[in-house]
Amino acid sequence: MKKEPCFQFKANFLPCAVLQILSDDWTHFDQQLTDAVRKAPSFFLNLPVVIDLDKISAVEQINFLHLKELLVAHQMVPLGVRGGSDAQHQLAEANSLSLLPGGKLSNFDKKQDKKEELILLTKLVTTPVRSGMQIYARDGDLIVTASVSAGAEVLADGNVHIYGPLRGRVLAGVTGNLQARIFCDALEAELVSIAGYYLTKDDCQKQALSPGMKQIYLENEHVRIEMIQPQRVPAEMV
Amino acid sequence: MTKTIVITSGKGGVGKTTTSASFAVGLATRGYKTAVVDFDIGLRNLDLIMGCERRVVYDFVNVIRKEANLNQALIRDKHIKELFILPASQTRDKDALTVEGVAEVLAELSKTFDYIVCDSPAGIERGAQLAMYFADSAIVVTNPEVSSVRDSDRMLGLLSSKTKRAEDGRDKITEHLLLTRYSPKRVARGDMLSLSDVNEILAIPLLGVIPESQAVLRASNSGDPVILDKDSDAGQAYLDAVARFLGENVSHRFIEEERNWLKRLLNFKKEVV
Repeated sequence: MKKEPCFQFKANFLPCAVLQILSDDWTHFDQQLTDAVRKAPSFFLNLPVVIDLDKISAVEQINFLHLKELLVAHQMVPLGVRGGSDAQHQLAEANSLSLLPGGKLSNFDKKQDKKEELILLTKLVTTPVRSGMQIYARDGDLIVTASVSAGAEVLADGNVHIYGPLRGRVLAGVTGNLQARIFCDALEAELVSIAGYYLTKDDCQKQALSPGMKQIYLENEHVRIEMIQPQRVPAEMV
Repeated sequence: MTKTIVITSGKGGVGKTTTSASFAVGLATRGYKTAVVDFDIGLRNLDLIMGCERRVVYDFVNVIRKEANLNQALIRDKHIKELFILPASQTRDKDALTVEGVAEVLAELSKTFDYIVCDSPAGIERGAQLAMYFADSAIVVTNPEVSSVRDSDRMLGLLSSKTKRAEDGRDKITEHLLLTRYSPKRVARGDMLSLSDVNEILAIPLLGVIPESQAVLRASNSGDPVILDKDSDAGQAYLDAVARFLGENVSHRFIEEERNWLKRLLNFKKEVV
């Protein structure tokens, strides 16, 4: 006989507060927390709290037991810690506070790693990108030293550099990188897009563009096309 | 070493079959043992252009399905004894072609022939992909108009990715551009893309320019490939193209509007009078 299921997992988002610790002066901490709770008691009642250690990562010995007691005394529910140093993490876990993902410091570390990856992940294409072809540089830049035909599509999570005639669709920062740029010479693209903001061929042609290298970037949610002016050495200096 | 050539374009009606027929005749006339294979299963045309439609008994699909052997299906050309035609089936469709079947037939042909010319169907589906899959070189037939050029561009993309050479990582297929139905007069008027317009987009070596010519339609209807009409401009253009394909240095013709001395004299007279 088939049994009824005993449980089911559901993905959900619960509201919780991030309590960023700025100082380990617990006496003042308690006073300030009391003031804050007095102003909005219902907000703090049974509020799940994540303790963020980014701003205090230099302090090695944190009295997590005391901190927990303070929070519980004010009827909050401490969930765990995030950010901070490895030593802090060990200490927190010893005081049965779980380690949660997120926090600026840990993100910062990842970004450093990613930067190195970006250099490695640059994709180089030296043959013409023909109509109907799609080339995607995941997690990096794309360099095309040949032409991109009408009906072709080149995409990158990072920047896109095109040295041949550009007649197809080109999308930079496709996963949302607002800083991504497109660099090209002959711009006859069907579409240029940065992080989802785009210009069509008609939009591009409205701007009087002279021949030469151009860069396309995002400024206040508008896609801008700008000539790259080479720095010329004045004649008298030569 | 047998060379397999695919005649392709993407777009229909640009002159693939005309080119396949003339090219095969041109190569065979030079003494190379040549087979021309019609991959356009279901829309059999090559046999008409070659004038052998009344002698078709077995076809390409019969050979793939082992209902006939290759020698039974190959038809000897009526003009040149070095040339054989493998016709397409008119009653089947392109799904009758399989990679293994085509590979087997082409391998069998390679034993005896110097050149295998594959006449690709239009489109980018199974028939067209199989026609190009085993090719060593490709002749991309293009008309001087935007949709044909874009389709050719698409085919060049497929040639560099969806062929056996590309998959094996061998040297890439040699690509040749053949611009057909070219009319310098209409280019001058701005009605037609010019050779340089097409070259700028496709950027592959030019094998030849075949002028728009009455001789082509006449040749198709009579079943004698236009290359045999040596007095016609299109016939001469195909002869030039075959010579260039074989590595000869022949200068391009039929690109500029014709201005011979007689016409110039007449124009001069007109201006004086």
